[in-house]
Amino acid sequence: MLQCIFLLSDSGEVLLEKQLTGHRVDRAICDWFWNQILTQGDSLKLVPVISSPTHYLFQVVREGITFLACTQIEMPPLMAIEFLCRVADVLSNYLDGLNEDLIKDNFVIVYELLDEMIDNGFPLTTEPNILREMIAPPNIVSKVLSVVTGNTSNVSNTLPGATASCVPWRKTDLKHATNEVYVDLVEEMDATINRDGNLVKCEIYGEVQVNSNLSGLPDLTLSFANPSVFNDVRFHPCVRLRPWELNQILSFVPPDGQFKLMSYRVKKLKSTPIYVKPQFTSDSGTCRISVLVGIRNDPGKSIDNITVEFRLPPCVTSSDLSPNYGSVNVLADKTCSWTIGRMPKDKAPSMSGTLVLETGMERLHVFPTFQVAFRIMGVALSGLKIDKLDLKNPLSRPHKGFRALTRGGEFQVRS
Amino acid sequence: MAPPAQSHRSPSPSQPSGKGEVSDLKTQLRQLAGSRAPGTDDTKRELFKKVISYMTIGIDVSSVFSEMVMCSATSDIVLKKMCYLYVGNYAKHNPDLALLTINFLQRDCKDEDPMIRGLALRSSCSLGVANLVEYLVGPLGNGLKDGNSYVRMVAAVGVLKLYHLSASTCLDADFPPLLKQLMLKDKDAQVVANCLTSLQEIWSLEASTSEEAAREREMLLSKPVVYYFLNRMKEFSEWAQCIVLELVSKYVPVDSEEIFDIMNLLEDRLLHANGAVVLATIKVFLHMTLSMTDVHQQVYERIKAPLLTLVSSGSPEQSYAVLSHLHLLVMRAPYIFSSDYKHFYCQYNEPFYVKKLKLDMLTAVANESNTYEIVTELCEYVANVDIPMARESIRAVGKIALQQYDVNAIVDRLLQFLEMEKEHVTAETLVLVKDLLRKYPQWSHDCIAVVGNISSKNVQEPKAKAALIWMLGEYAQDMQDSPYILEGLVENWDEENSAEVRLHLLTAVMKCFLRRAPETQKALGDALAAGVADFNQDVHDRALLYYRLLKYDVSVAERIVNPPKQAVSVFADTQSSEMKDRIFDEFNSLSVVYQKPSYMFTDKEHRGPFAFSEELGTLSIGTEPSDGAVAAQRVEANDKDLLLGTSEKEESHGYGNNGSAYSAPSYDASTTAGASQGHFDLVSIDQPSTLHPPSGFAIDDLLGLGMPAAPSSAPPALLLNAKAAIDPSAFQQKWRQLPVSLSQETSIDPQGVAGMTNPQALPQHMQGHSINCIASGGQAPNFKFFFFAQKAEGSFAYLVECVINSSSCKVQLKIKTDDQATSQAFSELFQSALSKFGSA
Repeated sequence: MLQCIFLLSDSGEVLLEKQLTGHRVDRAICDWFWNQILTQGDSLKLVPVISSPTHYLFQVVREGITFLACTQIEMPPLMAIEFLCRVADVLSNYLDGLNEDLIKDNFVIVYELLDEMIDNGFPLTTEPNILREMIAPPNIVSKVLSVVTGNTSNVSNTLPGATASCVPWRKTDLKHATNEVYVDLVEEMDATINRDGNLVKCEIYGEVQVNSNLSGLPDLTLSFANPSVFNDVRFHPCVRLRPWELNQILSFVPPDGQFKLMSYRVKKLKSTPIYVKPQFTSDSGTCRISVLVGIRNDPGKSIDNITVEFRLPPCVTSSDLSPNYGSVNVLADKTCSWTIGRMPKDKAPSMSGTLVLETGMERLHVFPTFQVAFRIMGVALSGLKIDKLDLKNPLSRPHKGFRALTRGGEFQVRS
Repeated sequence: MAPPAQSHRSPSPSQPSGKGEVSDLKTQLRQLAGSRAPGTDDTKRELFKKVISYMTIGIDVSSVFSEMVMCSATSDIVLKKMCYLYVGNYAKHNPDLALLTINFLQRDCKDEDPMIRGLALRSSCSLGVANLVEYLVGPLGNGLKDGNSYVRMVAAVGVLKLYHLSASTCLDADFPPLLKQLMLKDKDAQVVANCLTSLQEIWSLEASTSEEAAREREMLLSKPVVYYFLNRMKEFSEWAQCIVLELVSKYVPVDSEEIFDIMNLLEDRLLHANGAVVLATIKVFLHMTLSMTDVHQQVYERIKAPLLTLVSSGSPEQSYAVLSHLHLLVMRAPYIFSSDYKHFYCQYNEPFYVKKLKLDMLTAVANESNTYEIVTELCEYVANVDIPMARESIRAVGKIALQQYDVNAIVDRLLQFLEMEKEHVTAETLVLVKDLLRKYPQWSHDCIAVVGNISSKNVQEPKAKAALIWMLGEYAQDMQDSPYILEGLVENWDEENSAEVRLHLLTAVMKCFLRRAPETQKALGDALAAGVADFNQDVHDRALLYYRLLKYDVSVAERIVNPPKQAVSVFADTQSSEMKDRIFDEFNSLSVVYQKPSYMFTDKEHRGPFAFSEELGTLSIGTEPSDGAVAAQRVEANDKDLLLGTSEKEESHGYGNNGSAYSAPSYDASTTAGASQGHFDLVSIDQPSTLHPPSGFAIDDLLGLGMPAAPSSAPPALLLNAKAAIDPSAFQQKWRQLPVSLSQETSIDPQGVAGMTNPQALPQHMQGHSINCIASGGQAPNFKFFFFAQKAEGSFAYLVECVINSSSCKVQLKIKTDDQATSQAFSELFQSALSKFGSA
């Protein structure tokens, strides 16, 4: 099992060290690790599981912070990686972001969290709701409270009630002034369009996010109008699996606050809401580029936040790009980003320009991949529809709300 | 191991240098120690924070230990936590001072607040000071009986910590039976899980010495216990579920009904949001159904969707771990993912390590029906900006071509790559075209037409250049300009840096000469002259060989250099199928990621003789496995492996075209395992060198293309004991006593040197030749190894000091032995073993 966890800054400095077992891991391992990164050029390029001369290392990089764990014995690699990912999630959730300064400012909290999340190398609990009850996050509310009450401890004096209850993700005696529950469908469309403009792959990754502010022990059931669209589903531990298997109904006692109830995939979609058509024509050292964007399959709601991003090949020395709509930015690393925003009603946005190639190069033969981002409010492109949400033991009638949203995920157009 | 040492990282100017600040802190803390004034806690908290932040940066603040302990009398829980953290960090190195902390920790262990009791208990157990263990027994015993589950949970792990500190104290206090009781009774699932992990570790460590512990360990896998865990499965936290599932995967059900019951019970775990749980469940399913062919297939179908979701929905790091497992599965059953190939299409912004695995997947799932789409997709990557990716994609296309699907279309695509006029694409493609031609000579016409148009000036990479030159020589009669291109290349002999290219050039000119003598005569003369004068030994030798051959008899030369060739039917695979089975047995472990069975890399070696030291020159002699048990075990494992290496020849490569045959051998694993075990024992390993897997090189390589002058393959007369073992200290002693009987300098294959990046590679290789590594050390380019071998009959031992310089490929050997007569023979054997390193 894990022997030690290090947090490293993006310059290789050890921000934090947490020894987990009696076998002390020397910090020298971090130097070794950082040398590996330097030889690879980039921490993102380094394989997540590597073996050093003395230890096996797992590394996960989030926002420039490297979470490094060491072990000397055989263990499931995915367990270590998942755990590190959870640590990163919990920390960024607690500190409201993740960077070097936040960790340095709050290292006591980070130590406390790690203390409760893992003991002797075995992960204990990573459920944010439970951790929150043991260690209060350093938010403004608690700061204000501490000023008012004079109690500066950020630790609740009682143990989380949930550890004893049969619903480990929820306190037993929750009280809310407003009784409300919101369900959001958040979908991401992953699509790949190849050089010939054919849709190679198109699928939706979706999440059902619930924000529950309900008193007592509410028992909810959520049903869909068309559960047959799902190809694969994964659930929060609170979901009872039997009703799902029988009737495709989600029955659960929710954790308090915001959480991810389920995630799902819908494969083999036939079309995308928008199209992006890049074109390159080379002629004696220069290259004409034109990119057209338009609506292919009208989702019925307006499409906004559209951006098209691509990276010019290294052999392009200069570029001159102008759009008929929106604005284009070319960064120093040759990343071009064309911000369109809301899709105009009257015309199809287009961008054209010329690229000057390196001397001696006649025509362009490496072509960039275009990454497209967009957002459609009010529509779940998978076609998924929520039928109804019922509350079994209501103290009072709660307020219920539903929303849907689709974003471009890995939406890539090759040229 | 000093406490967080400064020496490794010189503090930057902005950081406090330490000394002054630490003594400041010391006085401030001392002032606060006795104070009970209001607000003291806040000041203390600031000071504690400072101390811990210094500790985190790596400044040694152990000097304030006693002040910290004095200040620890507080009711503030954050202060307590910081204090515990501090004490935990320094107690091990200040055992005397640690005694000071025991007092307040013991008091805290009796606090009314369960959280403080738990924390204090956890800290007491983590102090790691062996002479304080007596103070742990009481609090731990109370902790296990505590009314609060948090404390019990901490105590359960605490017992394991105590065991590692002092096994006898732990056993004398009768903690394991207590844990067992808790494990089977406690209401809180986390307590149960912690008891399980502690007991598993304690009993498996004790099992070797105590029969009772071995029985208890078996008990964990008994039906009632496993069912108890299964029934409480849903109460466990996700991480505890992983541990329980790992236990279940070791359980052997009695009949198929039981298997179905367990699988039905666990099926919903596949929908869990935590990937680690999903993978652990899959392991249970796969292992339980190994003997049931039909069900096993259904399991593959069932686990497909969850696995694919894990790949596409997680972070890149998670995808990497999952893809490694998918790759293993797909090698066993290529058909399972063949219709889902689109999931392995690469995204532009994925990290390279994920893309690389996805390419491996694409090559593995390619079959008659999807090859066209996959190759089309791969071709798009080739035009990509990302150069390493383009290279890998071309290699993937080549691998698919070598799998024999739709070669026609692929060859066309490959030839199109050559027309893209991008240097890295051309280079990579040339290497592939060469391999393709070796397998499918019938395509030579089409390929040669295109290859002939490539100007050798546009090809700079040694491998590609060598491939081009090989084709120029091999197809000299079909390529009009071949002699003249070769002539041009020979003229630039001095500018050619790569020995590999020069070697190929020699051979190519020779072949060309044998077919078109008049046109090539001049080039051959120049090449031989330049070759004989070459400073590289291999080039020199080969030139001389050709020269003498030609002088002796041209027809003999023809027969040797340019014999009729048979197409290569299969290229050597790097991994045997048995090896893959072994990795499959270790599903959901590091073995899968490293693609090696765990015995090849796990900690025994690290802690044992192979302890690689960080600093150059410091050599660590392993001390732990003083009995030969571990070594012998390892040797045994390796023996099997070598044998498998030979059996690989008959049955490997089946996976490409025959999926069902692939998994067949493992179905009745129990019987075949038994049988093959016997087989291992029958073949004794007295002649290890002959068992070395023969290399699958083409006939060209008779002359040692790309290899150093081939070592004689006849087994030397000297036989070594395959199970030789020696105590490191005995080795040291012997080394000091004996005189050097032979000191030699030799060289090592550059390919072998490349393999040295893995410190275990050479020791493992040598072990295959019954030569065991005792100690090793050093850092590139200088490595030092101590080897030990024993004669098969008689107890004569050979001790070797081997210094390898990886940049010059030079090896210095010092051999000491108590049997002077055979030292020369042993030296030969050692060198022949060494020369094979890296070439297989």
